[in-house]
Amino acid sequence: MQRTGTRYPAREEQVPDMSRADYGHDRWIGGQRPENRVAVEERPRQAGLPAEFTVAVIVERDDNGEFLIRELQRQRVAVRHIWPKPAQIPLQYDAIFCLLSDDLPQRIPWVPGEPSSALILVDDGKAPLNLKLVHNCAAHGMLHYPATARMIQSVLMMAREHFQYERRLRGRIDKLDENLRTMRLVERAKALLIRLKNLSEEEAYNFLRKQAMEKRVTIGAVAAAVIDSHELLS
Amino acid sequence: MGALNRNQRTSAPWRVGVLFSKTGFMSVIEETQLRGTLIAIDEINDRGGVNGRPIEPIVYDPGSEIRSYGQYAKRLMVEDGVSTIFGCYTSSSRKAVLPVVERLDGLLWYPTLYEGFEFSPNVIYTGATPNQNSVQLCKALMSQFGNRFFFVGSDYVYPRESNRVMRELVRNNGGTVVGERYLRLEADRSEFVPLVREIKEAQPDVIFSTVVGESTTFLYQAYHDLGLNPKTVPIASLTTTEAEIRAMGYDVGEGHYTAASYFQGVETARNNSFVSHYQKRYGGDEPTNMCLEASYFQVNLFARTLEETNSLDTRQLRTFVMGAEFEAPQGSVSINPVWGHADVWTRIGRANRQGQFDIVFESQASVKADPYLIGYGRCLENC
Repeated sequence: MQRTGTRYPAREEQVPDMSRADYGHDRWIGGQRPENRVAVEERPRQAGLPAEFTVAVIVERDDNGEFLIRELQRQRVAVRHIWPKPAQIPLQYDAIFCLLSDDLPQRIPWVPGEPSSALILVDDGKAPLNLKLVHNCAAHGMLHYPATARMIQSVLMMAREHFQYERRLRGRIDKLDENLRTMRLVERAKALLIRLKNLSEEEAYNFLRKQAMEKRVTIGAVAAAVIDSHELLS
Repeated sequence: MGALNRNQRTSAPWRVGVLFSKTGFMSVIEETQLRGTLIAIDEINDRGGVNGRPIEPIVYDPGSEIRSYGQYAKRLMVEDGVSTIFGCYTSSSRKAVLPVVERLDGLLWYPTLYEGFEFSPNVIYTGATPNQNSVQLCKALMSQFGNRFFFVGSDYVYPRESNRVMRELVRNNGGTVVGERYLRLEADRSEFVPLVREIKEAQPDVIFSTVVGESTTFLYQAYHDLGLNPKTVPIASLTTTEAEIRAMGYDVGEGHYTAASYFQGVETARNNSFVSHYQKRYGGDEPTNMCLEASYFQVNLFARTLEETNSLDTRQLRTFVMGAEFEAPQGSVSINPVWGHADVWTRIGRANRQGQFDIVFESQASVKADPYLIGYGRCLENC
C-alpha cells in the first residue's frame, strides 16, 4: 500500500491556524521535519486501515504529546491536534486520543454505549489513577505516558477493533430483533397459504420464497403482503 | 465492591436515581410514577431503611424530552455515581436510557406496561407485556362488542408495536381492523375531532386506543362531544388509567374499558392500606393507577433484594431479584427468572361515574411474563 489517499504530507501550509472559541490549535499536523518523512517510508501503514482514517489528538503538545503525534503520523493516519481541550469532543473522527481529566465524561458528546468514535484515554500519570473515572468514560483503550511506539500502535489497533466489534454486535442485535418479527410474519403467511390454497408447509414456504425472488424483495415483505391482502379480501 | 459484606459499618445512604417527567406532556402519568417511587422510599426509610441505611433518591425531571432521559441517565451514573435507576414511561425514553445502563452496567427498573420484544440484562421490567393485557382484552371485546376494530395511537414505538400484536390477535380470530391512525405525541385538542369523525364513518365495533399522555384526554373528549356511545362502541385501552380519567372528566370516561394489572378498585387488604396511605399524603381525591402501583412495588422489591445483597452491585442485585416475590397492592407478584419481567395480574375494568374502574375480568393469579409471545396461544381460546 502506498501513500495514496492519506492526508500526509500535512496541510500545515494550507489550513491556517484556526482560533475558534474552544479550539486552540486545531489543524492537520504535518511532518514538517524531514526525519519524519524518512520514518514514514520505512513503516507499513497499519493493516486494515481505510484510506482516510482520521484521528484527533486532544493532548498538550509537550514532549509526550509530540511523540504521540509523531508516532501516529508514522502510522500514516490523518492526525489533527486539538488543544486546549474543547468543551465538547468533536464527532467527526474515526478515533480520538484524549487526555484523561475529571471532567472528561461531561465533554464526551455521546451517551455511553452509543459512541461515534473509538476513544483512547491518555493518562499523563500526574494524578492518582481513578478507575471509576476510567469506567465512566466508557472508552476503548488507554495509553499511559511515557508511551512507546509499540504501545501507540497497538492501542490504536485494539481500540479500533473493539469499537467496530461493539458496533457489529449492536447491529447484530438489531438484525435479530428484526428477524424475530419477520419470522412471525412468515409463519402466519404460511399458515394462511396452507389453509386457503391447500398447500403443504413446504409448498407454502416455496411459494413465499419464489415470490420474493421474482419481485426482488425480502420474504418478510412478501409475507406481510400476503397477510395484508388476505385482510383486504376477507 | 464484590462479595456480600455484612460487617460493613456505615449509615451512609443508598443512593438511587429517579427519572420521571414532572413537566411536559407526559407528566400526567409520570408524576404519579414519581410519587409511587418516593412514597415507597419514604415508607422504607421510616422503617429504618435497608440494613440500617436510608435510601436517598436523586431525582431529575427530563421534561418529557426523549433525549434528556439518556443524558440524565448518564449524569446519574457518571456524576452522581448511581447504578440503580427507577424510571421511564414511554418506550422511546427506555430505549434512550438502555445504551447507558448497558454500557456502564447499571440497573434500570422500568414500571410501565410496554410492547414486549425486549430483554436487556440491565433492566427489570415490572409493567405488563402484551400476553398480560392485550390477549384477554381482545377476547373480551370480540365476545361482547364485535370484531371490527379501529386502532388509534400516539405516534411512537409503543402504540405501533402493541397494535402489531393486537392486529395479529384480531385477525387470527376472524376480526378485521377497519382503520388505523396515529397522531403525534404532542397532538392538541383540535386534531382529534376530525379523527373521531373518521372513526364514526368507519363504523367499528371497538376503538382500540394506545394514545398516551395529555392527548388521551382530547381523544375521549372529542368522542364525547361527537355523541358516540360507549355502550355500543367503547374505547378500549391499555394505557388509560385513573389518572387520565380524572384529567378528562368522570362523565367523559364513563363506560370505556382498560386492561391493566392494577386498578384502584382492587379489593385486597394490601391495596386498601396502599390507597389510604397514598391519599393521606396527596389528597383524598387523588386516584392511584397501574403505573403508580408498579413504581411502588418495584422499589419494595428492590429494597428487599438490597437487604440480601447489602450491595448496589448490578450483578448481585439482578441475581437476587430473580424469582423474588412481593405482596403488591395488585396481589402477589414475582420477577420471572427467565425474562427479568414481572409476573403480574390481568384485569379488565370499565370506568364508572366515580372515575374508578369496575373490574369485569380478573385472572386467578399472576400471569407469567412472555415478552416475546412465545408461549401464547394461536387463538384466544387457548389462553
